[in-house]
Amino acid sequence: MTGQEDFVPRARWRAWLLNRFVLVPAALALIAALWNGYVALHDHGLVTGRVVDAAGRPVAGATVVLWVLEFTTYVEKSRATTGPDGVFTIHDNPSHNIQLAAEKPGVGRSARIPVRLYFRAEDLALREPLVLEGGG
Amino acid sequence: MDRGARWPIHLALVAVSVAMLVPFYWVLKTSVSGDNIFAYPPSVIPRAPHPFYYVDVWYYIPFARYFLNSVAVSAIAVVANVGLNAMAGFALTRGFAGKSIVLLLFLSCMMVPFQATIIPAYLITGRLGLLDSYLGLALPQCSTIVCIFVFKASFEAVPSSLVDAARIDGLSEFGIIWRVMMPLAKAAVATNVILSFIWSWNNFLWPLIVTRSADMQTLPLGLARFLSYQEDTTGALYAFCVMVLAPGILLFLLAQKQFIQGLAAGATKA
Repeated sequence: MTGQEDFVPRARWRAWLLNRFVLVPAALALIAALWNGYVALHDHGLVTGRVVDAAGRPVAGATVVLWVLEFTTYVEKSRATTGPDGVFTIHDNPSHNIQLAAEKPGVGRSARIPVRLYFRAEDLALREPLVLEGGG
Repeated sequence: MDRGARWPIHLALVAVSVAMLVPFYWVLKTSVSGDNIFAYPPSVIPRAPHPFYYVDVWYYIPFARYFLNSVAVSAIAVVANVGLNAMAGFALTRGFAGKSIVLLLFLSCMMVPFQATIIPAYLITGRLGLLDSYLGLALPQCSTIVCIFVFKASFEAVPSSLVDAARIDGLSEFGIIWRVMMPLAKAAVATNVILSFIWSWNNFLWPLIVTRSADMQTLPLGLARFLSYQEDTTGALYAFCVMVLAPGILLFLLAQKQFIQGLAAGATKA
């Protein structure tokens, strides 16, 4: 008798919890929570990359400019200078829609490359270097 | 009819289904590709699909805020619809003086478009002090006549002896509705939930009139705002449409069996 009394409430709870009206929203909530956790761990606004010349050699002292989309136009947000190994780091990207370009007098300038991010201030490591060309 | 003779019907149904689903596919495709709808030749498969139009929508407008507002308003409308329509539907299954007049009034009111009653609705909402509030946004949709008839049809299918037995056992009228009728009317409940949710979710005109602050706007208003200040909206606009449509479609898919049952019962017995 006791076993039956235990069984009935448990079965009722199982029916309430294990149905698609609970499981689907719960799965969506879990996905949203995981995504927000990922965003919180990767939204420091860091943009890193390399600048090379036309021959592929690292360029030290090149200026890298970050533009961010504001309303309908891109405006300059910040600048960074490459180190001896041609690597640069920008620390304050606030946007999800940016453009990057590099320049060094005498070496040349790179094309302005658009970059789309999955969320604002997403940490980004450029796969392809910015190539300076046309500096004579 | 044997199975071999059914294939023309199935073929026709598949053709109609495809014709009805093509616009949805087109919206989905454009939301990930941004292809211009007038591009020639049209591409059926999206070229270089990406999710960034969805990201744009999320950040260009306060999407989370609009979404929360729509969810709150729809939740109020759904709860109120289920509660109020169930009570009204139950009352219409009982005999009382003037019942036929009430039924006639309900049917007549179904023919009056909402636009014709929007000014009195606004004045009443204003007098109640509910302008620019969730309750005010949901108020005109807290009960719908179609859904009342769905409940009425469902309750009429319950044997009156069951109601009499519940009454003899000491249940009040409210107790009979919530403890006897509602568990037997799951299809009607699902129909009420889906219809009231979709109507509330897609409502544009009433929120446009009732809301005063940008923080209280719902998703359809957000869509209009989005259109007003974005020039190249092809991909983002379609992404916005998908994000607005998704909750309604999800709810329908979750409860489509009960929804169809409820509508079929309402159609044959209203």
